[in-house]
Amino acid sequence: MPSLQTGYAPNLGVFLKSLKTAPLESSIENLISLLKRRQIRNSRPCAIATAHLLLRVVAKFRWTDIGNLLQRIQEVGQRLVEAQPREMVVGNIVRRVLGMIRDEAKEDRTEDASDSTSTSQLGSPGRERSDSGDLRTEGGVSSFSPLRFATTDASNLSEASGDDIFQGRSPLTSRPPLLTSHTSYAVLNGVPVQQSMFNLLSATPTPSSTPPHSSPSHGKSKITATSLAQRIATSTRDLKAEVISGIEEIIDELDQVDDQIAAYAQEHIHSNEVVLTHSSSLSVQKFLLKAAEKRKFTVIIAESYPNDHEATHAAVIGKVSSNLESDEMSTETFLKPLSAAGITVILMTDATIFAIMSRVNKVILATHAVIASGGLIAAAGARIIAKAAKVHKTPVIVVSGVYKLSPEYPFEFESLIEYGDPGNIIGYGEGALVDHLEVDNPVYDYVPPDLVDLYITNLGAHAPSYLYRIVADHYKPEDINFHKPELQF
Amino acid sequence: MPSSDPPTAEPSPAAAPAPAKANTAKQQKGKEPATSTDGSKLSGAELKARAKAEKAARRAQALLEKGTTAPVAAPIPGQQPKTEGQKGPKAQHKRGNSMSLEVRNVPVRGSQKAAPVVPAEPKKEDKTVEFFRHLYKLRTTSIAGASKEVHPAVLALGLQMSNYTICGSCARLVATLQAFKRVIESYTTPPQNSLSRHLTSHVLSPQIEYLSSCRPLSISMGNAIRWLKLEVSKVDVSVPDAEAKKSLCDAIDVFIRERITFADQVIARSAADKIKDGDVIMTYAKSSIVQRALIRAHEEGKKFRVIIVDSRPLHEGKHLAAALVKIGMDVKYCLINGLSHNIQDVTKVLLGAHAMMSNGRLFSRIGTALVAMEANEADKPVIVLCETIKFTERVALDSIVHNEIAPADELVIPGGPLEKWGDIKKLQLCNPMYDVTPADYIQMIITESGNVPPTSVPVLHRLGNESQG
Repeated sequence: MPSLQTGYAPNLGVFLKSLKTAPLESSIENLISLLKRRQIRNSRPCAIATAHLLLRVVAKFRWTDIGNLLQRIQEVGQRLVEAQPREMVVGNIVRRVLGMIRDEAKEDRTEDASDSTSTSQLGSPGRERSDSGDLRTEGGVSSFSPLRFATTDASNLSEASGDDIFQGRSPLTSRPPLLTSHTSYAVLNGVPVQQSMFNLLSATPTPSSTPPHSSPSHGKSKITATSLAQRIATSTRDLKAEVISGIEEIIDELDQVDDQIAAYAQEHIHSNEVVLTHSSSLSVQKFLLKAAEKRKFTVIIAESYPNDHEATHAAVIGKVSSNLESDEMSTETFLKPLSAAGITVILMTDATIFAIMSRVNKVILATHAVIASGGLIAAAGARIIAKAAKVHKTPVIVVSGVYKLSPEYPFEFESLIEYGDPGNIIGYGEGALVDHLEVDNPVYDYVPPDLVDLYITNLGAHAPSYLYRIVADHYKPEDINFHKPELQF
Repeated sequence: MPSSDPPTAEPSPAAAPAPAKANTAKQQKGKEPATSTDGSKLSGAELKARAKAEKAARRAQALLEKGTTAPVAAPIPGQQPKTEGQKGPKAQHKRGNSMSLEVRNVPVRGSQKAAPVVPAEPKKEDKTVEFFRHLYKLRTTSIAGASKEVHPAVLALGLQMSNYTICGSCARLVATLQAFKRVIESYTTPPQNSLSRHLTSHVLSPQIEYLSSCRPLSISMGNAIRWLKLEVSKVDVSVPDAEAKKSLCDAIDVFIRERITFADQVIARSAADKIKDGDVIMTYAKSSIVQRALIRAHEEGKKFRVIIVDSRPLHEGKHLAAALVKIGMDVKYCLINGLSHNIQDVTKVLLGAHAMMSNGRLFSRIGTALVAMEANEADKPVIVLCETIKFTERVALDSIVHNEIAPADELVIPGGPLEKWGDIKKLQLCNPMYDVTPADYIQMIITESGNVPPTSVPVLHRLGNESQG
């Protein structure tokens, strides 16, 4: 079945599959067109696709400089965002990756910085030993390693990283174990006191383990020239691996986010409650299913006609419509319907919300995107639900992964709203009406923060007013406008 | 058609609640009609229990027959054809759906072949929503079970109501009164009876009962029927039949003209006056009086836009949109999900009413409260157009205590995933027809007796009643 579908309707699964084989540039173009054609839509698939594509971009990237990598990702990200500016998660994921790279680079730099401080420390003794200049040429390459090692303080962790660095250096396979080389170096060269102090910290000297190429040299000029190149070469491998694992972490987060959110469910839903929700959302469904493990309650589902009603109906019935199946990953499609978990499910139209709200204890909304102000973009109809809840003093809980949290703060909310196919409302069969009637079919609603009582993310529950802090934790200020070069400094 | 056999008709006035009445009537017909009303009431319960047991046994029998093809249908059949014969149509009439459901389930159960009687009851899950359970009424959707006293005009009207061909409080009221006029026209007072005593209880009551089984009566219909009964009771015994009938028919005509036709004109004119050039009028679903007001304003040459908000499952607003578009008005149409996007542009909200409650709340098509709420939040005036015939002394605080629940299957989109929703356990569909809009959302009510705030509803209602009485 899936193979049949892949032929006709490209979707997330197909895209991810093609990502492995297709050349990078065509993958990027592919994703852009999928986004434009809405063949990948909704937050989660977009986020997954973006993360995988960026992973690929980093993996294929011919490393020169950290700045170039950032630029490259910004450039790819900008193209993706421009393809579908209303899928705000695309931008979020790009920002997360950029921020992560910046973090890694900073870590690396501090490491370098500590290197340089140590070299300067060493510089003073080195100057005294400048008479040993003839030796420098001999082991120029290796000369840096002891220094570097000395700075990393001989802890096990740094030892491991040192190993990494050496693995990067192919020609020096015969290099002896570091510790020994280090100590031996110090001992052999009759180094000044400071130097030996380092050794004291690192390990007990074992003269017997003196390596064949002991590299006694450390002339200053030589170090700076060769070691810098070395440092770049080594750190890039290192950094690249870090970045890739960072992106993989983001992908893992996307996989687990719903389960993490669901873990809070039992704190919030109690027995015999009446919970109203809207449209169909995997996050909300998992949340309710988790709560249903312990408790019996009633769920009222507003169907979100005319855009998402089929998905809602399908979710209620328990079979996933073919359309949705193509969007979602195959493992997620077989989620049991709420009614099978012992919850009483009542499906109602959107118009009944006010009538039923007086009996509802909690409203749980899913989101499309959350913006830094604490407002959210959700399926059309969410706003009147939130407002009706406000009128009835019913708490509104929004369930959302942190990845949907966007640092963008649009001042004009209409710009976030997407309008859907008016044919869903007035069929094209109704000729006279189609000709003369203006038909409006918004897909999303903006729900202002004052209508929301609580956000539950994978990090816990927060008040809407606190969201800006989470934004600050997850994104770097310099990345916020990455897709608008004109706004960058 | 005009029934005049006393024995069958006798028990009906005795038993007030409709289902009980149906049962007693049924049983009486089944056994001897000789028993006194009193006695039959006692034995009615007994008989009912017995009939139930018989039915269960019969069903089990049918099962056995189907499942095993063994001709075991021996012991009870003596009574069977008889009960079947008299019960068939009646039962269908009153509990049409439950019967048909069971019938449909039979083959499934047959295939199980085990424990035939016991699983019959738990098999059918209660699909009614708990909050609304007191409101569920099965609708008659065919004339098959209608009692023979029901006039053909009323039969047709009932069907039209149940499938929403005639929809809307006013339309139903007018149609009902027209049908009753024909009932009265075809009525002849039986000997030793007077029109004022016989007509209401023996002729009108079955009609009303049938109509309300097709779709619960609207509040305005209730008001009109109360008025009509009063009119009938006021007919002098000495007045000859033909004259009395004529005066009744004339009274109905006058009533329709005064309370509906003229009232509508007055309201439409008054509402059209409120519409100014450049206005953007929002309305919800379809109200005939709002439509009239809009068309009138348009005919007066005012330049304004209309935004029609609509909802599933009836999509009544589409008809309004079609009517307005046809005369060249500037109309925008959206469903309730687009409500909050359009409310900012709006200058006035005009709403129709199903009824106005005595506590000033508006009882109207489901979703109206949302529109009023949004308008109120956006500081847009909400104006209700309502004839005084729709005023009632009833009060409502929420939409659950009093409402009408339409068949849930109306929510099912043909070919959609919901088609087999009945098979899913613990899944319920709910399709209420009305909701109650709080009085604070309403700025003004335009009636034929003037423009009033919602707090004046009980006053107007009393004035109207006093003038009537």
